[in-house]
Formats: sequence, C-alpha cells, structure tokens
Amino acid sequence: MTAPSIPAEAERRVLRSSPNRPRRSLAKVPIYLFLSFGAVFALVPFIWMVSTALKTPGQLFKFPPEWIPNPVAWGNFAEAWTALPFGAMVLNSVFVTTLAMVGELASAALVGYGFARFQFRFRNALFLLMLSSMMLPWVVTLIPGFLIWKQFGLINTFDPLTVGALFAWGPFYVFLLRQFFMGVSRDIEEAAIVDGANALQVLWYVMLPLVRPVLLAVAVLSFQGNWNNFKGALIYLQEPLTRFTLPLGLQFFQASISNEAPRWHLMMAMSLLMVIPVVILFFLAQRQFIEGIQLGGVKG
Amino acid sequence: MVQWYAETLVRYVLVAAAIVGVMLLTYRGLRRAGVRREPATGFALILPWFLGFLIWNLFPVVASLYLSLTDYNILQAPNFVGLANYQQLAEDERFWASLRLTMAYSAITVPLGLLLSLLAAVLLNQGVRGVGLWRTLYYLPAILPPFVTALLWRLMLLPTRSGLVNSATEPVWSLFGDTPPRWFLDPDTVLWGFVIMSFWGVFGANTVIMLAGLKNIPKDLYEAAEVDGAGLLSKFRHITVPQLTPTLFYVLILGIIAGIQIFDQGLFVRVPRENFLNVYLYQQGFNFFHMGYASAIAWVMFVIILVLTLAVFRSSTAWVYYEGEVKR
Repeated sequence: MTAPSIPAEAERRVLRSSPNRPRRSLAKVPIYLFLSFGAVFALVPFIWMVSTALKTPGQLFKFPPEWIPNPVAWGNFAEAWTALPFGAMVLNSVFVTTLAMVGELASAALVGYGFARFQFRFRNALFLLMLSSMMLPWVVTLIPGFLIWKQFGLINTFDPLTVGALFAWGPFYVFLLRQFFMGVSRDIEEAAIVDGANALQVLWYVMLPLVRPVLLAVAVLSFQGNWNNFKGALIYLQEPLTRFTLPLGLQFFQASISNEAPRWHLMMAMSLLMVIPVVILFFLAQRQFIEGIQLGGVKG
Repeated sequence: MVQWYAETLVRYVLVAAAIVGVMLLTYRGLRRAGVRREPATGFALILPWFLGFLIWNLFPVVASLYLSLTDYNILQAPNFVGLANYQQLAEDERFWASLRLTMAYSAITVPLGLLLSLLAAVLLNQGVRGVGLWRTLYYLPAILPPFVTALLWRLMLLPTRSGLVNSATEPVWSLFGDTPPRWFLDPDTVLWGFVIMSFWGVFGANTVIMLAGLKNIPKDLYEAAEVDGAGLLSKFRHITVPQLTPTLFYVLILGIIAGIQIFDQGLFVRVPRENFLNVYLYQQGFNFFHMGYASAIAWVMFVIILVLTLAVFRSSTAWVYYEGEVKR
C-alpha cells in the first residue's frame, strides 16, 4: 500500500467535516442494538458457566434460573480438585505445553527464516507443499502416526505430544513468521553478515528481536493450542489417571464418573480451573491474541 | 512422575540435537558438493520441517492408503483385502448417517457463520464507540477450548426446563403451542444443538478476522465513491465485498476444513444416534481396533475435503479480488 499523499489527506479532512456527517449518529442506534444483542449472546453462557460452578446440586435446575447462587458453593472448586488427581494433571499439562511450545517456536523460526531469506532450488514448490499439508485431515495421518510411536514403544508417554513439535508441526506458524521475516529490510541483515555473523547468529540476534510482536503472537497461539490439545492426549495417553493432561481428565470425568448423573457444578468448576490460564493470558496479551488470528487473514 | 518427565525430556533433547546435527551435516555436505552458501543454508534451515513432512505426513499418507485396503487389528499383521473396506462403507448405515450429520453441519455453519460475522464486522466498522471493547467481548468465547464450549452448551441446552435456553424460551414455544426441543436428547435436533454451539465458538474469531480485513480497505475508495454519490448499499456491493474477498476466501477455506473435521465437541456430547464422521472413525479405530476400516473412513474424508477445497480454489479466480501489484 502506498502512503496517502498530502493532498489526499487534506481532501479527507474536508470530507470529514462535511455537513452530512452528524446525520449518521442517529442511524447508529440499530447498529448498537444489534451489537449489544451479539455481546449478550457471547457473554451469557460465560456467566452461566461461572454461576453453575458455584451452585450446590440442589440449586442447579431451579426454575426460574438463579444467576447468583445462594449460598455460594465455593467448596465446588476443592471438590472438583480432589475428584480427580488434578494436581498431577496440571503438572502434566504444564510440562507438555512448555516442551511443545518451545519446540514449535524454535523450529518454526528456523524454517520460516529459511523460506523467507534464502534462494534455493524447489524453494517455492516446497513452500507450497508445506501450505497444502495444512489441508491434510489429521485423521489421515492418525493411525500410521500412532503405529510409529507404538513401534518405538512410546505409547502412553508424553513424547507424542511434545517431540513432534520439534519438526515444525505447525505450518501456520512457519507461514506467519516467514511473512514477517520477509518484511524486514535486508540492509539490517547485510550489516550483520558483513560483520561475519552466520545465518543462525543473524536469526537470533537480528531477525528474531525485530519480529518480536509476531513471535509473541505465535507463542500465545501455540500455548493455547497445546494447553487445549485434547485429541493428542486422547489417542496417546492411557493410564493411570495421574498421566492424563487436563483436557483428557475433563473428558474422563464427564464420560465416566459423571456420566449417568452429570455433576454439572463440578464439571463447570473443573472447566473454569482449566481455562483460567488461557483467560489470564488473553487479558495480558490481548493484542497478540487478536493479532495472531488476524494475521492469517490479512497477510494471506 | 518425575521419572516420566525425565524420560521424555531426555528423548526430546536427543531428538532436538539430532535435528540440529542433521542440519549441520546437510549444510557441510551440500557445501562440499559445491553448492553455494545461500542455497545450502536455506535448505539446511528448512530441514526440520522437511524431515517432519517425510516422517509425519508423507509416510503416514501412503501407509494409511495401504491400511485402508487391509483388515488390521494391530495385533496381527495387516491382511490385504482390496476394496472390501470401501464396499463395506457403502453399505454401512451408521457411516452414512455420520457423514450426513457432518455434511449438514458444515453446510449450515460455514455459510451462515460467514454471513453473520461479516454483518457484525461491517457494523463494528461503522465508527462505533469502543471498537476494542466490542471486539474483546465478541472474541471471548473463542478462547475457550472447543470441548469446554461443548460441555457448556450441553448444559445450556438441557431438555425441559433444566437448561437455561429452554427455561428462557419456553414462553415463546408455548406461544406456538409447542414444547421446547430436547436438543441433544432428540436425534432430530442434535444438529441444531451443534450448530448453535459452533456458532458461539467461532463467531467472534471470524468477526475479528473480517474486521481486520475491513480496516485494510483503503479509505480513499469510499471517499471517491461518496464523491460520485454512491449510497451505502452500492458502496458495500462495489467496494467492501470485492475488497474483502481475500479475507472471505480465507475464512471460507478454514471454515470448510475445520467444519468437516469436527471432533472434540462430538466426544463431549452424548447423542442418541449418530455422531460426527471423525467420532465414528475414532470409535472404529481405537475402540474396536478396526484400523483398516478406520483408515478407509479417513480417506473418504480426505477426498471430500480435497474436492471441496479444490472447488473453492477453482472458483476463487472468478470471485476473489487481489490487488495484483501489492504483494511480493
């Protein structure tokens, strides 16, 4: 995009102050109405989730519905925590998420830099191949992938959830980083190369600091993706319960312990405990979150 | 427990070291073979992905195609049966029912989601106050994992007066002399339960993506049109929509791919009859150990996704508008 020229900017100012401007503020009432409707739709289930997590079993299905439970059953969180080996599951989730995130970020940075800055034969073909691999349904590679890990005797270990990340298993992250590496001016890089830095040093000392905002966005998305990785845990973790990650623990609770007579208050309390880290991260790094998902659409 | 971590950590570090080692060896080898510095470095850098592609994509795709032609229960070696699995699929009522549910779900949620999030994004782009706050509110549901969303909506959509949705809408239903639907307990309304759930989960994310696309449209275009006396609708038709088509295309492709592959939600909701195709596949493969049969289902899904995305890509030349000279 070209920067707006000065006359265009002046023209815009004139248009902004044109007399037909105020008319539009009244027209905005239906807009606000529609937007509020959307916001209510987005928020009410959240509030209901919190409210349910704080109810006693007797209060669950009162009619008319009770929004603020009386009494507030704070004990639900303790009960949910002890209904399963939650402490172990939290540790497992932290462990798996950390390793997978580090692996994903490191490999995506290397590969993205390779695709962005170096000419080599078949580069574009390989890049296209990588992008099209995003369309491959996970179920197609599921069973052979499972058999590979089984060959190594690594079913029911954390390896399938972490080691694979070292192979840049998130092509989307590679794509994002590549786009941003390509936006960095070559002059900065060249200065470092003249000073005798090799590719890895340039990447680490020059490129990565320059694309820090994207790196953060990718980190946030990656954290969310791995913290919520249910499929992987379902396929690869089996027993005992202390080896489960949080998503699998929640599934176990809802499908086994709480199947016949669902204990909704505990399930919502557990869900809350499990989403709290992501919610906190969202409010701390809201810009990165929102930028992260926008990037694909705009840069694509 | 510490031992589990230690074991995985050791293997993780070893694999990482091995990848770096292969990268260095490749670089040296290429250099020795007379390849110039730049291509050698580039190829070495993309090696982690390339190795992963060979091990975790290429080999499994070929292997799963072969497995789909076999009878395989993990314990005994695969037994080649030709197209028998596919023939069995053609007659498998449960497979067709799952396929129908999955396709109906995608056919409803993808276009409807696209339209409504487009509407919301366009409204947010009308210079309303507090865009940031609205955007946050809308995006909030998207930060929940899909399975928590599923659990939450199962609760919201409990039958009779137990669920919030039914207790709130009961007067409306009784107005028409009807009782509220039983949602996930009634095979006929399961689909709608999933539609509402999906809508809540992805609506905000799509809105945010589209809002970014809208903000990228050069303002000059609108101003030029205003000078020419274009009304709201004609501006929307002739500027907003064409300029936004790359974003719409992106959201559409992602929506199709994700919609057909829906899985997590299906495993957190107990339904009376058929579930989604991927859930059926999972049950066949990992509950009954019909690994060959499950592979055949996977290939059916692969072909469906391939055909649909290719069709959208093909059609894109007709409707997606790119500003030719802007990119690369």
